[in-house]
Amino acid sequence: MKFKLKFLFFFLFSINAFSQNATDMIAQLQLKMNSIKDYSVAATIKSDIPLIKIFPVRATIYFKQKDKFRIVSKGIAILPKQGFMDISQLLSQNDSYSAIASGSELITGTQTQIITILPNSDTTDLILAKLWMDTANITIHKSQITTRSSGTVTIDYTYKTQLSYGLPDTMIFTVDVKKFKIPKGVATDINRSSTKENNPPAKTGKIYIQLSNYSINKGIDDAVFKK
Amino acid sequence: MLLKSTHNEFIKIAAKPRSYLGLAAITVLVGVILFALKADGLSFISFVTASFEQTLSFEGNILNGNLVAFIILQMLIIHVPLLVALVTGDLVSGEAASGTIRMLATKPISRTQLLLSKFIAGGAYTFLIVLWLGFLAVIVGKFLFGNGDLMVLNSDGLVIHPQQDVGWRYLYGFAVAFLALLTVSSLSICLSCFSSNSIGPIVTTMAIIILFTIIGTLDVQVFDNIKPYLFTTHMASWRSFFEEPVPKSDILKSVFILIAHNILLLFISLYQFNKKDITS
Repeated sequence: MKFKLKFLFFFLFSINAFSQNATDMIAQLQLKMNSIKDYSVAATIKSDIPLIKIFPVRATIYFKQKDKFRIVSKGIAILPKQGFMDISQLLSQNDSYSAIASGSELITGTQTQIITILPNSDTTDLILAKLWMDTANITIHKSQITTRSSGTVTIDYTYKTQLSYGLPDTMIFTVDVKKFKIPKGVATDINRSSTKENNPPAKTGKIYIQLSNYSINKGIDDAVFKK
Repeated sequence: MLLKSTHNEFIKIAAKPRSYLGLAAITVLVGVILFALKADGLSFISFVTASFEQTLSFEGNILNGNLVAFIILQMLIIHVPLLVALVTGDLVSGEAASGTIRMLATKPISRTQLLLSKFIAGGAYTFLIVLWLGFLAVIVGKFLFGNGDLMVLNSDGLVIHPQQDVGWRYLYGFAVAFLALLTVSSLSICLSCFSSNSIGPIVTTMAIIILFTIIGTLDVQVFDNIKPYLFTTHMASWRSFFEEPVPKSDILKSVFILIAHNILLLFISLYQFNKKDITS
């Protein structure tokens, strides 16, 4: 009985310690994110998504606190619906989630701490989020967001020029494409059937975004965000 | 003499009110499509992109002149043959019905040259129809909706072409579409040689197009051997220029089959017209 009580106490203490540790790390990350009032950056977007053929596209990404975000491209650019703003928006609502440290992992030579984020409400679109955080530089090296509407989106980040601000130089999005369908009757190519019928359909697609020429905290006019 | 006869044929086509019916019909139809797309084009596009937009978002001007032109061509290219046949199906039989073919035959021109001039005039009218359709779809479409990348949905998925890579695709696409419509023109003139009334060749041309199209769409094994040789199978080949990579061998095959149809129909027409009894 005494042993069981000791074990329970140790278990609860551990959870609390892990939770405290994760909350501290997220607080530090939020502090870093809040130091960026605005930024603009040139992006080269390359997509490798089943059922979609698109050439690399150049665009400019604009961000302004608290939640203004816009991508301006001359041509058509395909981006994941989730991933750019979701993490910062999610983390800014402290009381809407619980963060738990759930292990560590080595990602491309960097030791990361895995933080699992669970929403406190069961009616939110978010089901689960996982962050792989570099505790030394307070940066996210990998994130995985699972939502009811978009499935799972995994993002791999690399940092170089703007490490101090926690802004990445590359982002690789891995998205679920299981729900992709070609609407029948719209593809009126009546004399040609799909040439990929015999190939098993891929379940994920990748979007590679290379970011360069950051302009941080220089001020961006609100008019930029009006479409 | 051939040139003079061709010139006369142009005048005859220009004098017929029904020649303007095709141009007017295209103008009205394109006008309606442009208005509909301007009013509610985004919902039309979202129908295509809906399954992708659960996960992805499309940034940039999707509803642009290039896409509008593609939508118009896709919708209208099926109906344009009727407008072509309406004029070309009457070129020989109309003259037979009105009796003017006898007077024509008294001129110092061979029957072969006379028929060739009708084929040339029919081809020129078809070219005018394609040119007008292209002007309304591409030029007016771009004027109203602006320029931009072209998003095309085909049986293998979505293909997005950069705007600087679209112009040549339309140019070649229209050239193949013209060749397909020229086959319709040749068919209707050919049928016109067998008939002595105006309506017969026009209706028969459309009936053949409908029949061949149905055979082409039926997924029945018994038709598999004849499908590749039906000209209607190759009428949508203009779309192939909007695939990536462009299936060059498929397009060349289609072009070859359409040209072969034109030559065959021309020879059948020449044979029939040369032995046609125009005295009774």
